[in-house]
Amino acid sequence: MRIDSLPFFAALAAEMNSHPERYQPLGEADMDVVVVMRDEPERPFAVRCAFEGIRCEHVVEVDADSPCEYRLDGPRAAWQAMFDDIAARGRATGLQTINSLALLGDDIRLGGSDPMGLDKFSRFNQTLQEFFDGASRVLAMEVAP
Amino acid sequence: MSEPKDYSNLPTMSPLGAPLDWAWLRGAKSEWGVHPKPSPRGLTMLDIASGSYGEVPDHPAHRSMAPRGADIEAGTPDMGYILNDKADVWAENTRELYEEAVARQWSATRDIPWGELRELDDDVEHAMCQLCTLLTEVEMIAADLPAKWMWRMNHEFIEAKMFLCTQIMDEARHAEVFRKRALANGGGLLLSRNGATSLLRTIIEAKSYTQATALMHLLGEGFVLDLFRMGELIAPSDVEKRIFRMCMQDEARHVAYGTMHIRYSVEHDPDVAEEIHEALDHGEMVLTEFGTAPDVSTALAVLLAGGVEHVEDKGFPLSLEMTKKQFTSYLARCERAGISRVERTKIPLDLLGIDIESIRSAGRAA
Repeated sequence: MRIDSLPFFAALAAEMNSHPERYQPLGEADMDVVVVMRDEPERPFAVRCAFEGIRCEHVVEVDADSPCEYRLDGPRAAWQAMFDDIAARGRATGLQTINSLALLGDDIRLGGSDPMGLDKFSRFNQTLQEFFDGASRVLAMEVAP
Repeated sequence: MSEPKDYSNLPTMSPLGAPLDWAWLRGAKSEWGVHPKPSPRGLTMLDIASGSYGEVPDHPAHRSMAPRGADIEAGTPDMGYILNDKADVWAENTRELYEEAVARQWSATRDIPWGELRELDDDVEHAMCQLCTLLTEVEMIAADLPAKWMWRMNHEFIEAKMFLCTQIMDEARHAEVFRKRALANGGGLLLSRNGATSLLRTIIEAKSYTQATALMHLLGEGFVLDLFRMGELIAPSDVEKRIFRMCMQDEARHVAYGTMHIRYSVEHDPDVAEEIHEALDHGEMVLTEFGTAPDVSTALAVLLAGGVEHVEDKGFPLSLEMTKKQFTSYLARCERAGISRVERTKIPLDLLGIDIESIRSAGRAA
Protein backbone atom coordinates (compact mmCIF):
# COMPACT_ATOMS: atom_id res chain seq x y z
CA MET A 1 0.00 0.00 0.00
CA ARG A 2 1.37 3.41 -0.86
CA ILE A 3 1.73 5.66 2.16
CA ASP A 4 0.68 8.70 0.12
CA SER A 5 -2.83 7.39 -0.31
CA LEU A 6 -6.16 7.81 1.39
CA PRO A 7 -6.59 4.04 1.95
CA PHE A 8 -3.36 3.98 3.96
CA PHE A 9 -4.55 6.74 6.29
CA ALA A 10 -8.02 5.22 6.47
CA ALA A 11 -6.32 1.99 7.59
CA LEU A 12 -4.34 3.90 10.23
CA ALA A 13 -7.60 5.44 11.48
CA ALA A 14 -9.30 2.05 11.55
CA GLU A 15 -6.34 0.62 13.43
CA MET A 16 -6.59 3.39 16.03
CA ASN A 17 -10.34 3.06 16.38
CA SER A 18 -10.19 -0.69 16.86
CA HIS A 19 -7.59 -0.45 19.64
CA PRO A 20 -8.89 2.00 22.23
CA GLU A 21 -6.80 0.20 24.87
CA ARG A 22 -3.68 1.66 23.25
CA TYR A 23 -5.00 5.21 23.36
CA GLN A 24 -6.97 5.27 26.61
CA PRO A 25 -3.81 5.45 28.77
CA LEU A 26 -2.63 8.43 26.72
CA GLY A 27 -5.93 10.25 27.24
CA GLU A 28 -8.25 12.05 24.87
CA ALA A 29 -6.88 14.21 22.09
CA ASP A 30 -8.73 16.75 19.96
CA MET A 31 -6.77 17.98 16.99
CA ASP A 32 -7.06 18.64 13.32
CA VAL A 33 -3.87 17.73 11.48
CA VAL A 34 -2.95 17.90 7.81
CA VAL A 35 -0.18 15.57 6.64
CA VAL A 36 1.46 16.58 3.37
CA MET A 37 3.69 14.27 1.34
CA ARG A 38 5.54 15.72 -1.60
CA ASP A 39 6.76 13.55 -4.39
CA GLU A 40 6.09 15.62 -7.42
CA PRO A 41 6.24 19.27 -6.33
CA GLU A 42 3.15 20.31 -8.26
CA ARG A 43 0.97 17.44 -7.03
CA PRO A 44 1.48 16.86 -3.31
CA PHE A 45 -0.66 14.35 -1.47
CA ALA A 46 -2.38 15.86 1.58
CA VAL A 47 -4.73 14.28 4.07
CA ARG A 48 -6.60 15.80 6.99
CA CYS A 49 -6.81 13.62 10.10
CA ALA A 50 -9.37 14.75 12.65
CA PHE A 51 -8.89 13.29 16.13
CA GLU A 52 -11.60 13.36 18.76
CA GLY A 53 -11.19 11.69 22.13
CA ILE A 54 -9.42 8.41 21.52
CA ARG A 55 -10.58 8.09 17.93
CA CYS A 56 -9.53 9.34 14.53
CA GLU A 57 -12.95 10.35 13.28
CA HIS A 58 -12.14 11.51 9.76
CA VAL A 59 -9.42 11.15 7.17
CA VAL A 60 -10.08 13.20 4.08
CA GLU A 61 -7.87 14.07 1.14
CA VAL A 62 -7.47 17.83 0.98
CA ASP A 63 -5.40 20.54 -0.65
CA ALA A 64 -1.92 20.90 0.82
CA ASP A 65 -2.69 24.41 2.04
CA SER A 66 -6.03 23.46 3.52
CA PRO A 67 -6.69 25.14 6.90
CA CYS A 68 -5.88 23.06 9.98
CA GLU A 69 -4.52 23.39 13.49
CA TYR A 70 -1.10 22.24 12.38
CA ARG A 71 0.51 20.76 9.34
CA LEU A 72 3.31 18.20 8.90
CA ASP A 73 4.80 18.73 5.49
CA GLY A 74 7.69 16.89 3.90
CA PRO A 75 9.01 14.88 0.99
CA ARG A 76 7.45 11.47 0.49
CA ALA A 77 10.88 9.88 0.93
CA ALA A 78 11.18 11.27 4.46
CA TRP A 79 7.73 9.94 5.37
CA GLN A 80 8.60 6.61 3.79
CA ALA A 81 11.77 6.39 5.90
CA MET A 82 9.70 7.05 9.02
CA PHE A 83 7.12 4.41 8.16
CA ASP A 84 9.85 1.94 7.15
CA ASP A 85 11.42 2.37 10.58
CA ILE A 86 8.02 1.83 12.22
CA ALA A 87 7.38 -1.27 10.12
CA ALA A 88 10.81 -2.69 10.91
CA ARG A 89 10.86 -2.00 14.65
CA GLY A 90 7.20 -1.90 15.63
CA ARG A 91 7.39 1.78 16.53
CA ALA A 92 9.35 4.86 15.52
CA THR A 93 12.82 4.93 17.03
CA GLY A 94 15.73 7.32 17.34
CA LEU A 95 15.45 10.28 15.04
CA GLN A 96 12.50 8.75 13.19
CA THR A 97 9.91 9.80 15.78
CA ILE A 98 7.60 12.49 14.47
CA ASN A 99 8.79 14.85 17.20
CA SER A 100 12.42 14.37 16.13
CA LEU A 101 11.64 14.80 12.47
CA ALA A 102 9.55 17.92 12.96
CA LEU A 103 12.02 19.35 15.44
CA LEU A 104 14.96 19.07 13.13
CA GLY A 105 12.77 20.37 10.32
CA ASP A 106 15.28 19.32 7.69
CA ASP A 107 12.72 17.19 5.90
CA ILE A 108 9.39 17.17 7.67
CA ARG A 109 8.33 20.59 8.83
CA LEU A 110 5.78 21.47 11.48
CA GLY A 111 3.73 24.41 10.29
CA GLY A 112 0.65 26.42 11.05
CA SER A 113 -0.20 30.05 11.50
CA ASP A 114 -1.65 29.83 15.01
CA PRO A 115 0.72 29.09 17.94
CA MET A 116 -2.21 27.55 19.83
CA GLY A 117 -2.68 25.08 17.00
CA LEU A 118 1.04 24.43 16.75
CA ASP A 119 1.22 23.72 20.47
CA LYS A 120 -1.34 20.94 19.99
CA PHE A 121 1.46 19.04 18.29
CA SER A 122 3.18 19.07 21.68
CA ARG A 123 0.03 18.60 23.77
CA PHE A 124 -1.05 15.45 21.94
CA ASN A 125 2.30 14.30 20.64
CA GLN A 126 2.20 10.77 22.03
CA THR A 127 -1.26 10.15 20.60
CA LEU A 128 -0.06 11.20 17.16
CA GLN A 129 3.03 9.03 17.51
CA GLU A 130 0.90 6.03 18.49
CA PHE A 131 -1.32 6.73 15.48
CA PHE A 132 1.69 6.64 13.14
CA ASP A 133 3.11 3.61 14.97
CA GLY A 134 -0.09 1.80 14.04
CA ALA A 135 1.47 1.53 10.57
CA SER A 136 3.52 -1.39 11.87
CA ARG A 137 0.33 -3.44 12.13
CA VAL A 138 -1.30 -1.99 9.00
CA LEU A 139 1.73 -2.77 6.88
CA ALA A 140 2.24 -6.19 8.50
CA MET A 141 -1.33 -7.15 7.64
CA GLU A 142 -0.69 -6.15 4.07
CA VAL A 143 2.24 -8.54 3.63
CA ALA A 144 0.70 -11.35 5.68
CA PRO A 145 -0.43 -14.30 3.57
CA MET B 1 -38.11 13.54 36.59
CA SER B 2 -40.56 12.52 39.31
CA GLU B 3 -43.21 14.91 40.61
CA PRO B 4 -42.40 16.93 43.78
CA LYS B 5 -43.89 15.45 46.91
CA ASP B 6 -45.79 17.22 49.65
CA TYR B 7 -43.11 18.51 52.00
CA SER B 8 -45.39 20.64 54.17
CA ASN B 9 -45.58 18.30 57.15
CA LEU B 10 -41.88 17.58 57.70
CA PRO B 11 -40.70 17.84 61.33
CA THR B 12 -39.23 21.11 62.57
CA MET B 13 -37.14 19.58 65.36
CA SER B 14 -34.75 16.59 65.40
CA PRO B 15 -35.28 13.72 67.86
CA LEU B 16 -32.60 15.37 70.00
CA GLY B 17 -34.43 18.70 69.97
CA ALA B 18 -32.26 20.53 67.42
CA PRO B 19 -34.00 22.77 64.86
CA LEU B 20 -34.26 21.37 61.34
CA ASP B 21 -33.96 23.29 58.07
CA TRP B 22 -35.78 22.01 54.93
CA ALA B 23 -35.14 25.06 52.74
CA TRP B 24 -32.89 23.06 50.42
CA LEU B 25 -35.81 20.72 49.71
CA ARG B 26 -38.58 23.17 49.11
CA GLY B 27 -37.25 26.70 48.82
CA ALA B 28 -33.89 26.94 47.01
CA LYS B 29 -33.85 29.50 44.18
CA SER B 30 -31.04 27.88 42.23
CA GLU B 31 -31.68 26.37 38.82
CA TRP B 32 -33.14 22.86 39.00
CA GLY B 33 -33.36 20.22 36.30
CA VAL B 34 -30.61 21.33 33.88
CA HIS B 35 -29.94 17.69 33.03
CA PRO B 36 -26.72 17.97 31.00
CA LYS B 37 -26.12 15.20 28.49
CA PRO B 38 -22.85 13.29 28.69
CA SER B 39 -20.65 13.48 25.62
CA PRO B 40 -19.14 10.28 24.17
CA ARG B 41 -16.17 10.56 26.52
CA GLY B 42 -18.33 10.96 29.65
CA LEU B 43 -19.81 13.88 31.54
CA THR B 44 -17.29 16.65 31.10
CA MET B 45 -16.98 20.09 32.63
CA LEU B 46 -17.97 21.46 29.24
CA ASP B 47 -21.14 19.35 29.30
CA ILE B 48 -22.24 20.69 32.69
CA ALA B 49 -21.51 24.30 31.78
CA SER B 50 -25.17 24.66 30.87
CA GLY B 51 -27.89 27.02 31.97
CA SER B 52 -26.99 29.32 34.82
CA TYR B 53 -24.24 26.90 35.89
CA GLY B 54 -22.24 27.72 32.78
CA GLU B 55 -22.41 31.48 33.29
CA VAL B 56 -19.19 32.81 34.76
CA PRO B 57 -19.79 36.36 36.01
CA ASP B 58 -17.38 39.11 35.02
CA HIS B 59 -17.64 40.59 38.52
CA PRO B 60 -19.00 38.06 41.03
CA ALA B 61 -21.32 39.40 43.70
CA HIS B 62 -20.03 37.00 46.34
CA ARG B 63 -16.59 36.36 47.76
CA SER B 64 -17.32 33.10 49.54
CA MET B 65 -16.59 29.48 48.73
CA ALA B 66 -20.24 28.91 47.81
CA PRO B 67 -20.42 26.95 44.54
CA ARG B 68 -21.28 29.06 41.51
CA GLY B 69 -24.97 28.61 40.75
CA ALA B 70 -25.98 27.71 44.31
CA ASP B 71 -28.60 29.69 46.23
CA ILE B 72 -26.31 31.60 48.58
CA GLU B 73 -27.44 32.64 52.03
CA ALA B 74 -27.11 36.31 52.88
CA GLY B 75 -24.19 37.21 55.13
CA THR B 76 -21.88 34.47 53.88
CA PRO B 77 -18.34 35.35 55.06
CA ASP B 78 -15.92 37.08 52.70
CA MET B 79 -12.93 34.81 52.05
CA GLY B 80 -10.64 37.74 51.32
CA TYR B 81 -10.28 37.09 47.61
CA ILE B 82 -8.38 39.73 45.68
CA LEU B 83 -8.80 38.30 42.17
CA ASN B 84 -12.46 39.11 41.75
CA ASP B 85 -12.70 39.96 38.07
CA LYS B 86 -13.07 37.23 35.51
CA ALA B 87 -10.33 38.85 33.42
CA ASP B 88 -7.94 38.34 36.33
CA VAL B 89 -7.80 34.55 35.91
CA TRP B 90 -10.00 33.33 33.07
CA ALA B 91 -9.08 31.79 29.73
CA GLU B 92 -11.56 30.61 27.10
CA ASN B 93 -9.96 27.17 27.04
CA THR B 94 -9.98 26.59 30.81
CA ARG B 95 -12.61 23.83 30.93
CA GLU B 96 -11.18 22.04 27.91
CA LEU B 97 -7.69 22.11 29.40
CA TYR B 98 -8.91 20.82 32.74
CA GLU B 99 -10.56 17.82 31.09
CA GLU B 100 -7.48 17.25 28.96
CA ALA B 101 -5.24 17.36 32.02
CA VAL B 102 -7.37 14.85 33.90
CA ALA B 103 -7.47 12.53 30.89
CA ARG B 104 -3.74 12.70 30.19
CA GLN B 105 -2.23 12.15 33.62
CA TRP B 106 0.66 9.71 33.80
CA SER B 107 2.86 8.16 36.42
CA ALA B 108 6.58 8.78 36.77
CA THR B 109 6.78 5.51 38.64
CA ARG B 110 4.91 3.31 36.20
CA ASP B 111 5.02 4.89 32.74
CA ILE B 112 8.77 5.41 32.35
CA PRO B 113 10.74 2.27 31.39
CA TRP B 114 13.31 2.77 34.15
CA GLY B 115 14.58 -0.78 33.67
CA GLU B 116 15.84 0.14 30.21
CA LEU B 117 18.33 2.74 31.45
CA ARG B 118 21.81 1.85 30.31
CA GLU B 119 25.22 2.93 31.50
CA LEU B 120 26.33 6.15 29.82
CA ASP B 121 29.71 7.73 29.30
CA ASP B 122 30.78 9.69 32.35
CA ASP B 123 30.47 13.11 30.68
CA VAL B 124 27.00 12.39 29.29
CA GLU B 125 25.73 11.03 32.63
CA HIS B 126 27.08 14.11 34.39
CA ALA B 127 25.45 16.41 31.83
CA MET B 128 22.13 14.60 32.14
CA CYS B 129 22.29 14.79 35.92
CA GLN B 130 23.15 18.50 35.78
CA LEU B 131 20.15 19.14 33.54
CA CYS B 132 17.94 17.06 35.84
CA THR B 133 19.21 19.03 38.85
CA LEU B 134 18.16 22.23 37.13
CA LEU B 135 14.79 20.89 35.98
CA THR B 136 13.97 19.45 39.41
CA GLU B 137 14.63 22.92 40.76
CA VAL B 138 12.73 25.02 38.23
CA GLU B 139 9.71 22.80 37.68
CA MET B 140 8.27 23.30 41.13
CA ILE B 141 7.93 27.05 40.58
CA ALA B 142 4.98 26.24 38.35
CA ALA B 143 3.39 24.52 41.33
CA ASP B 144 4.34 27.07 43.96
CA LEU B 145 3.17 30.03 41.94
CA PRO B 146 -0.44 28.93 41.30
CA ALA B 147 -0.59 27.76 44.91
CA LYS B 148 0.42 31.25 46.00
CA TRP B 149 -2.43 32.83 44.04
CA MET B 150 -5.20 30.25 44.01
CA TRP B 151 -6.56 30.96 47.47
CA ARG B 152 -6.92 34.63 46.45
CA MET B 153 -9.04 33.75 43.39
CA ASN B 154 -12.77 34.19 43.64
CA HIS B 155 -14.45 30.82 43.90
CA GLU B 156 -16.83 31.66 41.05
CA PHE B 157 -13.85 30.97 38.78
CA ILE B 158 -13.74 27.38 39.96
CA GLU B 159 -12.72 25.92 36.58
CA ALA B 160 -9.60 28.08 36.47
CA LYS B 161 -8.71 26.96 39.98
CA MET B 162 -9.33 23.35 39.06
CA PHE B 163 -7.06 23.64 36.03
CA LEU B 164 -4.32 25.15 38.18
CA CYS B 165 -4.69 22.19 40.56
CA THR B 166 -3.87 19.89 37.64
CA GLN B 167 -0.87 22.03 36.83
CA ILE B 168 0.37 21.67 40.40
CA MET B 169 0.05 17.90 40.12
CA ASP B 170 1.83 17.96 36.75
CA GLU B 171 4.73 19.92 38.18
CA ALA B 172 5.02 17.63 41.18
CA ARG B 173 5.35 14.76 38.72
CA HIS B 174 7.97 16.65 36.70
CA ALA B 175 10.03 17.33 39.82
CA GLU B 176 9.62 13.64 40.67
CA VAL B 177 10.63 12.31 37.27
CA PHE B 178 13.75 14.47 36.93
CA ARG B 179 14.83 13.75 40.51
CA LYS B 180 14.36 10.05 39.84
CA ARG B 181 16.35 10.27 36.62
CA ALA B 182 19.21 12.07 38.34
CA LEU B 183 19.50 9.28 40.87
CA ALA B 184 18.54 6.27 38.78
CA ASN B 185 21.56 5.69 36.59
CA GLY B 186 24.54 5.80 38.88
CA GLY B 187 24.77 9.59 39.05
CA GLY B 188 23.13 12.07 41.37
CA LEU B 189 22.09 15.67 41.79
CA LEU B 190 24.80 18.15 40.80
CA LEU B 191 25.16 21.93 41.08
CA SER B 192 22.37 24.34 41.87
CA ARG B 193 23.56 27.84 40.96
CA ASN B 194 22.28 31.28 41.96
CA GLY B 195 20.88 32.03 38.51
CA ALA B 196 18.03 29.57 38.67
CA THR B 197 16.83 30.83 42.00
CA SER B 198 17.07 34.45 40.83
CA LEU B 199 14.79 33.62 37.91
CA LEU B 200 12.35 31.75 40.11
CA ARG B 201 12.31 34.59 42.59
CA THR B 202 11.43 37.05 39.83
CA ILE B 203 8.44 34.86 38.97
CA ILE B 204 7.20 34.15 42.48
CA GLU B 205 7.50 37.82 43.48
CA ALA B 206 5.45 39.19 40.58
CA LYS B 207 3.11 41.93 41.78
CA SER B 208 -0.07 40.61 40.17
CA TYR B 209 -1.34 37.24 39.05
CA THR B 210 -1.44 38.35 35.44
CA GLN B 211 2.19 39.47 35.61
CA ALA B 212 3.03 36.20 37.31
CA THR B 213 1.29 34.12 34.66
CA ALA B 214 2.99 36.06 31.87
CA LEU B 215 6.35 35.35 33.46
CA MET B 216 5.60 31.75 34.29
CA HIS B 217 3.27 30.37 31.63
CA LEU B 218 4.28 32.41 28.65
CA LEU B 219 7.97 33.00 29.27
CA GLY B 220 9.27 30.36 31.68
CA GLU B 221 7.10 27.39 30.76
CA GLY B 222 7.19 28.38 27.09
CA PHE B 223 10.96 28.02 27.15
CA VAL B 224 10.82 24.79 29.10
CA LEU B 225 8.21 23.43 26.67
CA ASP B 226 10.61 23.97 23.80
CA LEU B 227 13.42 22.46 25.84
CA PHE B 228 11.28 19.35 26.36
CA ARG B 229 10.53 19.21 22.64
CA MET B 230 14.25 19.25 22.07
CA GLY B 231 14.56 16.30 24.41
CA GLU B 232 14.66 14.29 21.21
CA LEU B 233 18.13 15.67 20.59
CA ILE B 234 19.17 15.97 24.21
CA ALA B 235 18.14 12.55 25.47
CA PRO B 236 20.90 9.95 25.50
CA SER B 237 18.42 7.04 25.44
CA ASP B 238 14.76 6.19 24.84
CA VAL B 239 14.13 6.42 28.57
CA GLU B 240 14.96 10.11 28.70
CA LYS B 241 13.15 10.69 25.42
CA ARG B 242 9.99 9.30 26.95
CA ILE B 243 10.44 11.49 30.02
CA PHE B 244 10.78 14.60 27.88
CA ARG B 245 7.82 13.71 25.65
CA MET B 246 5.49 13.05 28.55
CA CYS B 247 6.53 16.27 30.29
CA MET B 248 6.18 18.15 27.01
CA GLN B 249 2.50 17.26 26.75
CA ASP B 250 1.82 18.60 30.24
CA GLU B 251 3.85 21.73 29.73
CA ALA B 252 2.03 22.55 26.50
CA ARG B 253 -1.29 22.63 28.41
CA HIS B 254 0.11 25.11 30.89
CA VAL B 255 1.38 27.32 28.09
CA ALA B 256 -2.00 27.06 26.34
CA TYR B 257 -3.76 28.28 29.49
CA GLY B 258 -1.28 31.11 30.02
CA THR B 259 -1.40 32.30 26.43
CA MET B 260 -5.19 32.39 26.36
CA HIS B 261 -5.44 33.88 29.84
CA ILE B 262 -3.19 36.77 28.87
CA ARG B 263 -5.26 37.24 25.75
CA TYR B 264 -8.53 37.27 27.70
CA SER B 265 -7.03 39.63 30.22
CA VAL B 266 -5.77 42.13 27.66
CA GLU B 267 -8.98 42.02 25.64
CA HIS B 268 -11.10 42.81 28.70
CA ASP B 269 -8.72 45.25 30.36
CA PRO B 270 -6.32 46.82 27.82
CA ASP B 271 -4.56 48.72 30.62
CA VAL B 272 -3.09 45.46 31.86
CA ALA B 273 -0.96 45.15 28.71
CA GLU B 274 1.65 47.62 29.95
CA GLU B 275 1.84 45.80 33.26
CA ILE B 276 2.57 42.57 31.38
CA HIS B 277 5.15 44.23 29.15
CA GLU B 278 6.99 45.56 32.20
CA ALA B 279 7.10 42.09 33.72
CA LEU B 280 8.35 40.56 30.48
CA ASP B 281 10.96 43.32 29.98
CA HIS B 282 12.54 42.20 33.22
CA GLY B 283 11.74 38.50 32.81
CA GLU B 284 13.36 38.22 29.38
CA MET B 285 16.53 39.77 30.73
CA VAL B 286 16.70 37.41 33.72
CA LEU B 287 15.83 34.39 31.58
CA THR B 288 18.51 35.26 29.03
CA GLU B 289 21.11 35.57 31.80
CA PHE B 290 19.97 32.26 33.20
CA GLY B 291 19.86 30.49 29.83
CA THR B 292 23.35 31.62 28.93
CA ALA B 293 24.80 30.74 32.33
CA PRO B 294 28.01 28.74 31.80
CA ASP B 295 26.82 25.63 33.63
CA VAL B 296 23.45 25.39 31.88
CA SER B 297 24.84 26.00 28.40
CA THR B 298 27.71 23.53 28.80
CA ALA B 299 25.52 20.70 30.10
CA LEU B 300 23.07 21.19 27.24
CA ALA B 301 25.86 21.38 24.68
CA VAL B 302 27.43 18.13 25.93
CA LEU B 303 24.06 16.35 25.67
CA LEU B 304 23.43 17.75 22.20
CA ALA B 305 26.90 16.67 21.09
CA GLY B 306 26.66 13.24 22.71
CA GLY B 307 29.84 13.95 24.70
CA VAL B 308 32.58 16.50 25.23
CA GLU B 309 34.44 15.48 22.06
CA HIS B 310 32.04 17.28 19.73
CA VAL B 311 30.87 20.02 22.00
CA GLU B 312 32.33 22.80 19.86
CA ASP B 313 31.53 21.59 16.36
CA LYS B 314 28.12 20.11 17.20
CA GLY B 315 26.96 20.94 20.72
CA PHE B 316 27.16 24.71 20.69
CA PRO B 317 25.79 25.18 17.13
CA LEU B 318 22.80 22.97 17.95
CA SER B 319 22.33 24.82 21.21
CA LEU B 320 22.18 28.10 19.31
CA GLU B 321 19.59 26.63 16.96
CA MET B 322 17.53 25.57 19.97
CA THR B 323 17.72 29.04 21.43
CA LYS B 324 16.46 30.48 18.16
CA LYS B 325 13.49 28.10 18.19
CA GLN B 326 12.71 28.94 21.81
CA PHE B 327 12.66 32.69 21.23
CA THR B 328 10.69 32.31 18.00
CA SER B 329 8.01 30.22 19.71
CA TYR B 330 7.87 32.57 22.69
CA LEU B 331 7.47 35.69 20.56
CA ALA B 332 4.79 33.98 18.43
CA ARG B 333 2.84 33.07 21.57
CA CYS B 334 3.11 36.68 22.74
CA GLU B 335 1.54 37.77 19.44
CA ARG B 336 -1.25 35.22 19.94
CA ALA B 337 -1.75 36.47 23.48
CA GLY B 338 -2.23 40.01 22.14
CA ILE B 339 0.96 41.50 23.57
CA SER B 340 3.34 41.88 20.67
CA ARG B 341 6.91 41.97 21.90
CA VAL B 342 8.60 42.36 18.53
CA GLU B 343 9.13 46.12 18.84
CA ARG B 344 9.82 46.13 22.52
CA THR B 345 11.99 43.14 23.31
CA LYS B 346 15.70 43.55 23.95
CA ILE B 347 16.32 40.03 22.64
CA PRO B 348 18.78 40.38 19.72
CA LEU B 349 16.41 39.09 17.03
CA ASP B 350 18.78 39.87 14.15
CA LEU B 351 21.69 38.16 15.85
CA LEU B 352 19.61 35.05 16.45
CA GLY B 353 18.29 35.12 12.87
CA ILE B 354 14.64 35.22 13.95
CA ASP B 355 12.10 35.76 11.18
CA ILE B 356 9.95 38.63 12.43
CA GLU B 357 7.30 38.23 9.73
CA SER B 358 6.56 34.65 10.76
CA ILE B 359 6.10 35.87 14.32
CA ARG B 360 3.72 38.63 13.28
CA SER B 361 1.61 36.15 11.32
CA ALA B 362 0.92 34.35 14.61
CA GLY B 363 -0.91 37.44 15.80
CA ARG B 364 -2.94 37.66 12.62
CA ALA B 365 -4.02 34.02 13.09
CA ALA B 366 -5.83 34.88 16.30
